[in-house]
Amino acid sequence: MSRLAKYAWAALGIAVISHFLIVSAFPGAIMDAAIERLSQGRFNEWRVADRVTPLSRQIVRPSPDFAYSACPYDLSRGPISLRVAPWNDYWSLSLYADNSDNFYVVNDIEAPQGADITLIATGDGLPNVLTPVIQSPSRRGIALIRRLAPSVDSYNAAVRAAQGDVCAPLAR
Amino acid sequence: MARRWLAWGGAVLAGLALGAASAWGAVLLGGALVSERHGAWEHSAAAGASSAGPYTRAIVAREGLLALSPREALYFTLDRDEHSRPLDEICSYALAGTDFNARWWSVTLYASDDYLAQNNDNAHSIDATGIAAGAWHAKISSLRADAPHWISSRGAGRGFSLTLRVYQPGSGFEPSAANLPTLHTLACDAP
Repeated sequence: MSRLAKYAWAALGIAVISHFLIVSAFPGAIMDAAIERLSQGRFNEWRVADRVTPLSRQIVRPSPDFAYSACPYDLSRGPISLRVAPWNDYWSLSLYADNSDNFYVVNDIEAPQGADITLIATGDGLPNVLTPVIQSPSRRGIALIRRLAPSVDSYNAAVRAAQGDVCAPLAR
Repeated sequence: MARRWLAWGGAVLAGLALGAASAWGAVLLGGALVSERHGAWEHSAAAGASSAGPYTRAIVAREGLLALSPREALYFTLDRDEHSRPLDEICSYALAGTDFNARWWSVTLYASDDYLAQNNDNAHSIDATGIAAGAWHAKISSLRADAPHWISSRGAGRGFSLTLRVYQPGSGFEPSAANLPTLHTLACDAP
C-alpha cells in the first residue's frame, strides 16, 4: 500500500466513525439545549409560556393556537408527580426523553377529568402510589401540556386552568 | 519525521471534516426520505415520531422537536405556489379547502426563519374555530382588503411557508391532493 493510500484510508475510517458519532449525538445535543432553554436551571415545575407571538423564539414553528406549559424534569432524586388540570377543549400531555423520543401522550378524550401520573426513570423501583406509573427512558426530559386556546380570551382562561397543574417531586 | 506527523494530522482533520459534513448533510437532506408529498403539501412522517433509528431520530430532532405524535396531529407544509415558485410577500394567494375528517385544524404562516412573520396584524393563522363547516376560502396577502378569512404575509418576505395541522384525525382520514387545501396566486406586485 502506498503511503498516500494509507493516509486516505485512515481519513476515510475517521470520517465514517465521526459521521456515526455526530448523527447519534445530534438529538441529545438538541434536546439538551431545549431543556436548558426551558428550565433555566430549574426542574420539576411547570412554566406557562407567554402567548405565541412573532417575538416567540424558544421553539421553531410554534403554534399560536395553543397555550403551552412545559416542565423540564429531572428524576435523579426520585419520582415526580405530574397532574394536568382539566380543560374544556382539546389538551394533551406529551413526555419527551432526552433523545427527543415522544414516549408517552394522553389527551382530554382519554382523561376527561385531567391526568394524574407518577413518572419514574426506567430501572428505578416502583413507588407505592395509586396513580399510573410511567417509566421515562432517561432521567431528564420535557413534559409538555398543550391546551387549545386560539384566542386571547381562551389563552387567558388556559393560564388560569394551568394553576391546577402539578409537576413536583413525589411526596414521601 | 515532522512531515509524517503533518500528513497524519492532515488525514485526521480531513476525516473529521468529511464525517461532520456528511453527518450534517444526512440530517439536512434526510428529511426528504421520511416525507410524503400530497399535491403541493409535504407531510413529514418524522414529526412527532418515536423511532429507534439514529438517522430518523436526528431528523426528528431537527425538523419536529417536541412535535405531537402522529395520532394527535398530522403536519403538512406548503412552500411553493402552483408554478413551484417560492411563496413571496409581494404576491397575494387564495387558499381553498373543505372540512377535514378530524377534530380540529389550523393553517399557520411562518417566515423563512421558521418563526411567525414579524407583523402585528394578529392574523398568523386561520383555524376551524373561526370558519363555518363546509368549503372555505382564505386570502394570504400583506393587506387584508375585504377578505373574510385572512392570513397576513406582511413582513414574511420571500420563501415563507404554510403549515397545516390536522388534530386528532379520524380513523378514515387519508391525506391526498384531493382533500388538502389548494393554493393559487392571485397577483404579484413588481419587486
